[in-house]
Amino acid sequence: MNTLRITILLALGIACPILAAEIDTEPVTLEKAREIGRTKSRLLQESQTAKEPSHVVPKADVAFYQKSIRGVLLKSCLGCHGPKRSEGRLRVDELNPDLLTGPDVNRWREIYNALSNSEMPPEDESNYTLADTDRGRIVDWLSTELNKASIVRRDSSQRSSFRRMTKYEYSYALQDVLGIKFPPPNNLPSETPSEDGFKNSSELLQMSVMQFETYRELAMKALRRAIVIGEQPKPVTYIVSMRDEVPKAMGNKRAKKFNKNEKEYRNNNNRPHLLNRETGEAVHFNTGKINPKPDAVVGDSPEVSPVVLAMPRSNELKMNLDRFLPDDGIMRVRIRAGRSTMKPNEYASLRLIFSAHTSNNANFMNVISQRDIPVTASTDDREFIHFDIPLSDIQRNPFRHLERTFPRRDEFLHIRNVSNAGGRDDPLHVYVDYIEITAPYYEQWPPQSHTNIFIASEKRNDETAYGREVLTKFMRRIWRRPVTSAEVDQLMDLFVKYRPQFATFEEAMMEVLATALATPEFLYLTQKVASDQDDESTLINDVELASRLSFFLWSSVPDDELLQLAEQGKLRSNNVVPRLRSRNSANGVAEPQQATHLKAQVDRMLADSRAQRFSKHFVGQWLGLDGLDNVAHIKDEDLKAAMLGEPVALFEEILKNNGNVMDFIHADYVMLNERLAGHYRIPNVFGPHFRKVALKPNMNRGGVLTGAAVLAMNSDGTDSNPLKRGVWMLERILHDPPPPPPPNVPEVDLTDPKILQMTLKERIADHRNKPACMSCHSRIDPWGIAFENYGALGDYRTQIKKKPVDANSELFNKQKLNGMDGLKRYLLTERQDQFAQAIVHKMTAYALGRSLSFSDRADIDKLTKQFRNKGDRLRDLIHLIVISEIFNSK
Amino acid sequence: MNFETASLNRRNFLCGTGVALALPWFETFAAETATPAKTPKRFLSVYHPDGVGLPLKEDPAWKDWSWFPRGGEKDFELTKVLDVLEPLRSEITIYSGLSHPAVRRVHGHSNADQYLTGAATGGHGPYKNSVSVDQVIAEHTGEFTRHASLVMSTNGGIGAPRGSQTQSYNREGRPIPAMNKPKQIFDTLFVTSGKDAAAKLARSKSSLDFLISNTRSLGRQLSKHDQQTLQQYLDAVRDTEVKLAKAQKWIDTPIPEVDASNLHLEADPKEARLYFETMYELIYLAFLSDSTRVSTFQLGRENGEGPHDLLSKAVGLGGAHGLTHAVKKPNGWKNLGTYNRYQAQEFGRFVQKLKDTPEPNGDGNMLDNTFAMHGSASSSFHLSRNYPIISAGGKNLGFRNGRYLKFGSGNEDNQAGAGIVSDAGWRGKIEAEELPLAQLFVTILQRFDVETDTFAGYTGPLERV
Repeated sequence: MNTLRITILLALGIACPILAAEIDTEPVTLEKAREIGRTKSRLLQESQTAKEPSHVVPKADVAFYQKSIRGVLLKSCLGCHGPKRSEGRLRVDELNPDLLTGPDVNRWREIYNALSNSEMPPEDESNYTLADTDRGRIVDWLSTELNKASIVRRDSSQRSSFRRMTKYEYSYALQDVLGIKFPPPNNLPSETPSEDGFKNSSELLQMSVMQFETYRELAMKALRRAIVIGEQPKPVTYIVSMRDEVPKAMGNKRAKKFNKNEKEYRNNNNRPHLLNRETGEAVHFNTGKINPKPDAVVGDSPEVSPVVLAMPRSNELKMNLDRFLPDDGIMRVRIRAGRSTMKPNEYASLRLIFSAHTSNNANFMNVISQRDIPVTASTDDREFIHFDIPLSDIQRNPFRHLERTFPRRDEFLHIRNVSNAGGRDDPLHVYVDYIEITAPYYEQWPPQSHTNIFIASEKRNDETAYGREVLTKFMRRIWRRPVTSAEVDQLMDLFVKYRPQFATFEEAMMEVLATALATPEFLYLTQKVASDQDDESTLINDVELASRLSFFLWSSVPDDELLQLAEQGKLRSNNVVPRLRSRNSANGVAEPQQATHLKAQVDRMLADSRAQRFSKHFVGQWLGLDGLDNVAHIKDEDLKAAMLGEPVALFEEILKNNGNVMDFIHADYVMLNERLAGHYRIPNVFGPHFRKVALKPNMNRGGVLTGAAVLAMNSDGTDSNPLKRGVWMLERILHDPPPPPPPNVPEVDLTDPKILQMTLKERIADHRNKPACMSCHSRIDPWGIAFENYGALGDYRTQIKKKPVDANSELFNKQKLNGMDGLKRYLLTERQDQFAQAIVHKMTAYALGRSLSFSDRADIDKLTKQFRNKGDRLRDLIHLIVISEIFNSK
Repeated sequence: MNFETASLNRRNFLCGTGVALALPWFETFAAETATPAKTPKRFLSVYHPDGVGLPLKEDPAWKDWSWFPRGGEKDFELTKVLDVLEPLRSEITIYSGLSHPAVRRVHGHSNADQYLTGAATGGHGPYKNSVSVDQVIAEHTGEFTRHASLVMSTNGGIGAPRGSQTQSYNREGRPIPAMNKPKQIFDTLFVTSGKDAAAKLARSKSSLDFLISNTRSLGRQLSKHDQQTLQQYLDAVRDTEVKLAKAQKWIDTPIPEVDASNLHLEADPKEARLYFETMYELIYLAFLSDSTRVSTFQLGRENGEGPHDLLSKAVGLGGAHGLTHAVKKPNGWKNLGTYNRYQAQEFGRFVQKLKDTPEPNGDGNMLDNTFAMHGSASSSFHLSRNYPIISAGGKNLGFRNGRYLKFGSGNEDNQAGAGIVSDAGWRGKIEAEELPLAQLFVTILQRFDVETDTFAGYTGPLERV
């Protein structure tokens, strides 16, 4: 205990001279701040002086409280938190000092936070002060008691990771178990995020009739996509060969004809045109009607033609496909394309758009490609790029089956060049010479998704034997565990009942499989109680671990390799997880023995493309990026997409390199694509993909705090919103959420002319100074004020309404924050432990699929210490979590 | 044996008749408050495209052929367009100053889609719609009837985006196909057999039995705490069973016997008057037999394509859409007014019929328990503002009739946008303030016991209604 106290005093002692020095010297660089901050880490110091784990059942130290704490606490705090006034509805005189069994443990935790961050007593209450030695003693006592309480309470915890899949996990799982590229559009209700912002939190994942019935519908729809009945349908295929379009285009009297080798080309080349690269002949061309070719060879690659369609930036080819596209199945669009020039700073990509204009004013036009596909080949080595589009999922022309010709029945496919090319001389065009559109498209017949279920077997002719075989394989896959023959029997009974109602084995089986996909063992992540229970029964079993791992890193079911290792008991060796007996070691830093299989699996899984789901969903939920959909002031969809992409790209970059998580607070680089770089006024970034760009200090970016997504979603449409930004900062970065607003908040009186004249910052200050608002707002607002150099779109600004921006603020503990730089510097020097603890907490909650409670504190503390000791690295954190006791426990 | 056909039929059953007419268990999710109301509450919305006549005051036609009434809330005076409703004066309410804000700047021809949804459906480019108010009501009333809702239009089907031929949109904003053939509607309501549905139900029943036993055996392997979580799943399965039982009940319940001898089930829009009357009669019969409590009816599609255009033949005039373009021709306003008058007359006949029919269970007349509205998403010529709306009935739901309710400000005499004759007139700048029609929908929903304070993103009921 003494050691700890000295540590804190030391920390305080170091802090003061630095702060004092800031007044007249240059502030330290953020890099330096990060170094200093690490030396001040309480967690690192504590872990150096880790105590041997004790096996004694912990008891509350109430005696020490009565002797040395209570008096000080009452003297310094009772004035505001006592019978006369009880700010924040806290009365220190009524708190139960037994943290292990008493009811006030959450209150004590708040007190611990307020005291250890020197927020209390307030500086301006000169009647109430707290000597540093007294503060140290209280913090010290609380730290120990909280830790003991966490251990004691853990075992009686009612939190569980038993939960159903989330909406998005369900889609991924269907996609993965059935091997289909496009799961049916998911109309399950959306999840309510937990207090931490996570959607996979067990206590909030409800089940309702509607939910259940939707599962059954979706499963059936997905099976219809995976399974084929009967002969392969003959595809409808359209071919556009540019060479063949020339005569008609030339024949069009109104079409402008010109030659590439003549001067006038410059005046005509900004519209799509057919170009004969050998003769230079050219004619404007951007639309046409095409008919299916009954004898077309799908996947053909005819000789490269000198005649190309030259598509300038932001131009398109619009093809009338009439009414012949089938209703269902995949439409594959193959386009042979190359670039007219290869300037490295220019890019060009293709996008598909689908439209119909059924009658006057009744029309639609939707982008149907999921992402733009870059054209990278040179025109002399044109390459095929292709899009796959699920025809039943896009808006179609509802009149296409009419016999009448009006309203119009035709449908249009547009191919658009999305590019950043500029300049008039020799501009970058996309050259296309051959297009093939075919639907329904199958890579093979029957498709892989079909043969995955209806496997090749010698028993094919015996429906009962084969049915069992099919079901055994399918059930293992969706239940993520070996199945017993009794379990197969039950579903076979169902099959026998259904069989006479259907023409084919496959159709009857499809109904059975749909039922299997509605079972709780598919829909839920289970943690079973072993029948032969012993003292190790708090651990989940191997196959459950495989599922927990795959839902953590892939948001979906395990693949065969992972499941097989688990079934063979090779996923973790027996000594990976420290035995229960060592559980009381809260300060232990000794790393558990590594399980090479487990570690290798994590690395394999992170390298898999399915891990992108982890980046997307974890970052989205951790930072609350859904908030971007709740503001209406971002009009440009490309900008919005780029804003959303940045923090995910940053996460992936750090993850890839096992980088330091302090980069989230500030990094000397930023992840950018061209659109976002333009928004940040950072030059020389070209193309739609994200890449790492080194920062110069005057660029005012780096980390997530200065990312446009976070700044824009915490704005109110016309201006920044310091309150929202402050709350966001506390919730997401520091994991110290402010209490909800009290019921009787006085409205800001905007009819008061005095208030109307104030700047936003002044108005907030005025509001804060009202007694009812003060205690909360003084903890929130200063954080948000520090963001004031960033506008409603996350743009950097030095002026607001022609007045210079005032982004200086003062925290509750009198810490001055000088704008964003000051905020980052303060976080890096003084709050590294808190941020590290926050990210460990968030990641663990996401990994477990449940909210963490007080009883998890000891585990989180331990993980955080291990994490800090290893150097705050992101990939290490994932490995640490996966081998941790908490991740392996029920 | 012909199983292939059987399975095809099953699919047809699901797709062909449209979700609106699927069995209740498929359709209605909100089964929590399953205490049947004593007297049914019913909802009807009739939509007519192309708006109404709105001449300028200085035009001689203004006196007789301007659609909106004159005068105050109680002492309003109907023009010739609506004077056919004078006998029902105490049963109707006429509204002005309401429209959906999201599409006020969109050409009226694109707006039938959003009349009951209030969605920002736009004029071009990407398209998305949201749930319509009738379907929200149907979610609450649908479990008491064989059909959750009856969706009809003269053109049938769904139409095109921004050229809708149905007024009803489901929770995902997808259009629910409307029925347009009297025979088909009659058969669906009063003749359809449940053979395919019965086979499907039987399969669902075995599937649920399996799931229940499977869930129980999983439950035995879980901790006490987790068993409670799993209980929710089990409850969901059981609730589904209850719904199945209800669906089974509908299959077993005899279809109400309705005498079709006076109905002209082969009526075609070409025989405009007969067709129109038959469609209203079918709604009346559906309500009377309590086959459904929610219905929508769209008179054709915007821009006058298809059968709706022929309805104006009933009053001896040419294509209905053409009437709106021809207002500056001799008798132009009068012709348009005459056609609108005919629509009001048919609506009035239906309302009168409800009024004259005692509630089957003896609680007043049917009109008192039915809220029927009639309107369009444009007033004057392609102008997406100041929707001309009439409502009738609903006394027992809390609606007070015999009133002309003006909302918004700056357009008390309904002259904003009046007299537009050019095709681009709808683009003109209008200063008048209007209230969101969605607020009227909030009022309606609340009167139908739907606990909500918002619709389509707009909060709060409409005052005074």
